[in-house]
Amino acid sequence: MAERQTIDARGSFCPGPLMELIAALKLASIGDEIEVLSSDKGSAADIPAWVNKVGHSYVGTTEKDGCWSIVVRKAK
Amino acid sequence: MASKPLFIMLCSGEHEKIQLAAMIASVAAVSDRPVQVFVTMNALLAFERGLTPDQRYHGGHFHELFMTSKVPDAIELFAQGKMLGDMKMWACSMVLDLKHWETDTHLVEDLFDGPAGLTVFLADAEEGELITI
Repeated sequence: MAERQTIDARGSFCPGPLMELIAALKLASIGDEIEVLSSDKGSAADIPAWVNKVGHSYVGTTEKDGCWSIVVRKAK
Repeated sequence: MASKPLFIMLCSGEHEKIQLAAMIASVAAVSDRPVQVFVTMNALLAFERGLTPDQRYHGGHFHELFMTSKVPDAIELFAQGKMLGDMKMWACSMVLDLKHWETDTHLVEDLFDGPAGLTVFLADAEEGELITI
């Protein structure tokens, strides 16, 4: 059964949130969702671009008070 | 289509340039792009084994901000790029000779794939894109 986990990368600068996401994806199963919390504006744009490039699924992004929640589903 | 391999020649010992090289190398490697990094001249001094971050990193306008903000450590970024992607790091054999250093004993552990000469690195770089920092 697919699981969902949250990575709190708030306070970390580029490419810290992306690298934390990738490390979590390595350990996740296909279909699992990972939510990255980030206060880095650049990562909010970079993570969806990376996800599309390497073939995972980008679920969506929400922003509240300077914190982005970026959700990714492991697809391969 | 497979991405063109990326070759990075890192010469500068300035913190912000080492940081930039680490960012480029790690992000490219985890984006399915093969990366090779050739570390030479002053840059190699920052990879000496056993240094604290204060001893390791110097110079550049952003140095102080890097040290006081939660910016990923450059050496750790290189290590992550190697662990999560297709990335190799080479230490310039000329600089190693001048310093009487060996990759296995004087440089950061488990980061370098070995010593390499400029001629071989440049020949390999003909297969991809070369950037010099």
